[in-house]
Amino acid sequence: MAGTNGAAPTPFDAPIASQSFSHDDEDVVVIIGSGAGGGTIANELCQQGVRVVVLEAGPHLTGADYVNDEWPAFTQMAWLDNRTTSGSWRVAKDFPNLPAWTVKAVGGTTTHWAGACPRFKDYEFRAKSEYGGGLDGANLLDWPLTRAEMDPYYDKAEIKMGVTHVQGRPPLPANNNYTVFANGADRIGYTQYATGPYATNAEPYDGRPASIQDGFNFQGDKHGAKWSTLITELPRAGKTGNLDLRPECQAVQITHNGGGKADAVLYLDGDGNLQRQRAKVVVIACNAIESARLLLLSASPLHPDGLGNSSGQVGRNYMRHVTGSVYARFDKPVHMYRGETMAGVVADEAPHDADRGFAGGYYFETLALGPPFLAAFAEPGSWGPEFTEIMDAYANTAGLWITGEDMPQETNRITLNGAVTDQHGLPVPNVHFDDHPNDAAMRDHAWAQGEKMYEAVGSTGAHRTTPYPSTHNMGTARMSEKPGDGVVNPHGACHDVPNVYVGDGSVFTTGAAANPTLTIVALAIREAEHIGGEIRAGRL
Amino acid sequence: MATAATPAAAETTAVRALTVMVRAMFPHPSFPDGPYERCAETILGAAGEDVRFRTQLDQGLRDLDVAGGAPFAELDDAKKLEVLRGMSSTEFFEGVRSRVITSLYDDREVWSLLGYEGPSYDQGGYASRGFDDLDWLPAARIEQGS
Repeated sequence: MAGTNGAAPTPFDAPIASQSFSHDDEDVVVIIGSGAGGGTIANELCQQGVRVVVLEAGPHLTGADYVNDEWPAFTQMAWLDNRTTSGSWRVAKDFPNLPAWTVKAVGGTTTHWAGACPRFKDYEFRAKSEYGGGLDGANLLDWPLTRAEMDPYYDKAEIKMGVTHVQGRPPLPANNNYTVFANGADRIGYTQYATGPYATNAEPYDGRPASIQDGFNFQGDKHGAKWSTLITELPRAGKTGNLDLRPECQAVQITHNGGGKADAVLYLDGDGNLQRQRAKVVVIACNAIESARLLLLSASPLHPDGLGNSSGQVGRNYMRHVTGSVYARFDKPVHMYRGETMAGVVADEAPHDADRGFAGGYYFETLALGPPFLAAFAEPGSWGPEFTEIMDAYANTAGLWITGEDMPQETNRITLNGAVTDQHGLPVPNVHFDDHPNDAAMRDHAWAQGEKMYEAVGSTGAHRTTPYPSTHNMGTARMSEKPGDGVVNPHGACHDVPNVYVGDGSVFTTGAAANPTLTIVALAIREAEHIGGEIRAGRL
Repeated sequence: MATAATPAAAETTAVRALTVMVRAMFPHPSFPDGPYERCAETILGAAGEDVRFRTQLDQGLRDLDVAGGAPFAELDDAKKLEVLRGMSSTEFFEGVRSRVITSLYDDREVWSLLGYEGPSYDQGGYASRGFDDLDWLPAARIEQGS
C-alpha cells in the first residue's frame, strides 16, 4: 500500500535545506516560530529573495517520528513548558498547567491542526459596529481590514493549502462520523453541511498524497496529506537558499537600539547557551500565549511595560473561541475514529442572528478522540458509572465540536507570573480567562442544537463536553487602526516599533466564528508581501 | 488490612486492594481483571517514584477497608460506590482517579474491549478498512449546500 512503511515517498522525505547565516548579519529577517504564521511568512519572504532566520523552540520532528498513539504523541509534540492559569474557566481547575494544546516543534501547531478552513464573514471584520449594544465588558473593535481586502489573500491561502470544496478542488468522502452528523443536521433543517472546506487532500495535490483516512492528524499526520508548514512552506523556503532554520532555539528577548527600532533577538540554543542574532526585521509568530509573553519579556527601561505595549493591550483580549463537544450514543456502530477527524462542517449557525440571544455565530465540526483522550477530556474529574457509560459506548459514539466567536475582554489576558519560572528560569505566562455571558449563552445554544442533531438520527444519550484546553489562541497583540486601541497596524507591524511584526493569531482584532488557521495564513501572505516591499523600498 | 510478612507480599496485597478499588471506581462489566490489575500495578509504580502519593496511598487503602464497616472487597457494588463517594474529595482518591484515567484507557486490551482499533497508518489507514461502512443511515451529501 502506498505510503506505508516507507514503501512510497511521502512529503516528509525531502529534507529542509538550511543555511548558516552569521549571528552578526544585519540584513536577515528573524522569524520567531515556524507554524501557520511564521512558517508561511518565512517561505513567502524567501521566495522574494529575503534571507530569513527562523527560530523554532521545538525539535524538528518528521513523519517517521510521529506515532499513532494519543499520549505518546502528545508528550512528543505538545507545548508542555510550565504555564499557570486563573479565572473562572473550567480549564483552570481541570488542567491548571495546560491552558492550551498547541505544538512545540518545527511546523508548530500546523503539524497537529485538524484542517477546517472556513473564511471569516464580511461583517465579522466589523464586530463592534455590527453586534450593537448589550455586550457589557466586551472590548470589541472593528478590524482595520475588510473582507474585500482579504479575499485575494484568502484565495492564495486556499491554493497554498489545497483547501477542498473551493476553486474546483473536490470534497473529501464522508466518513462514518460525518454520515451521522450530516444526516442529523439535515433532519433538523440545516442545509449548510459538507465535508469541508478542509486542508487535507481528497486527491493528490501539490506534491502531497490523498488522505488514507488514518484518523491521526492530531498526532502529526504521518502520510503528509494535510497541509502544514513542515511539509509545504519550510521545504520550499529551504530550496531558495534563503532559509536558516534553527530548531530548539527559544527566543527570550527582542532588543532595540536607541532609535526605537529592534536590532536583535536573544535566544537560548539547544545547549542552553544565550545567543544573539542580529535582525533587520523581527517577526513574532509563537502562538498567542508565547507571542504576548515574548513582548512582555522584552520590557526595558525605554519600554517598561513590554515591547510594543504603549497601548497597554499586549496580552489582553485573549480569545479562545466558544468551544465544547457533544458525544452522542447510538444503538449501532459508528467507529468515529476512522477517517479524517474534522472533515465535517455545519455552517447554519455561523451567521450572526441576535434573535438567538447572543451575538456572533458558531460552526459545528466533526470530532473524534481515541479512548485515551476521550477518558481525559470527555468529563474531566469524573468517575463512576456515569463516566464508564460514556466509555462503554465508545464504538457506537458520534462526536462533534463547537467553534464560535467569543468576546474579547481586557481582563482575559496573558501576564508574566512573577512567582513561577520555566526550565530556563524565565517567568511563565499566566493565562487568565472568564467566559463573557455572551460566550456562555452561545455555548448553551450550541450544545442544545448539537444534541438535537443527534436525537434526530436516534441517539440514546448524549454528553456535553466542556471546552478542552485552548487550541485556538487569539487577540493578544491585536490589530488596530489607532495606536491607542491595539498593538499592531493593519500590516502587522507594532505601532510602537516599526520593524517588529506579529504574524500569528495574536493580531486578530476579534476572533470570528471560523477556525483561525486559514485567516492566519492569509494574513501571513499579506504581511510578507508588505515586509518584502518595504525592504525593497529601503524603508525597513 | 493484615500486616504483610514481606515486601513482595505487601505489594501483592496492595495490587489486590487497588485492583478492587479501581474496578469499583471505573466499573466496566465487560472488562476482565487483567486491565484493572495492570492499572493497579502502574499506579503502584507511580507511587514508588512519588513519596507523597505513596504515603497517601498506603493510608488511603487502609482507610478504605474500614470506612464501609467491612473490608472494601467484601462490600456490594452500591456500598463500594457509597464509600468511594465519601472520600472522593481527598488527595488519596484524586491521586488514584487521575492516574487511572491515563493508564486504564491507555491499555491495548481496553481499546479492543471498547471497539477502538489503535494505530492505523501501518495498515494503510481506514481508506479500505471501514471508514465509510456505516449502513444504518443514508449516504449524506458531501458537497456544500446552496
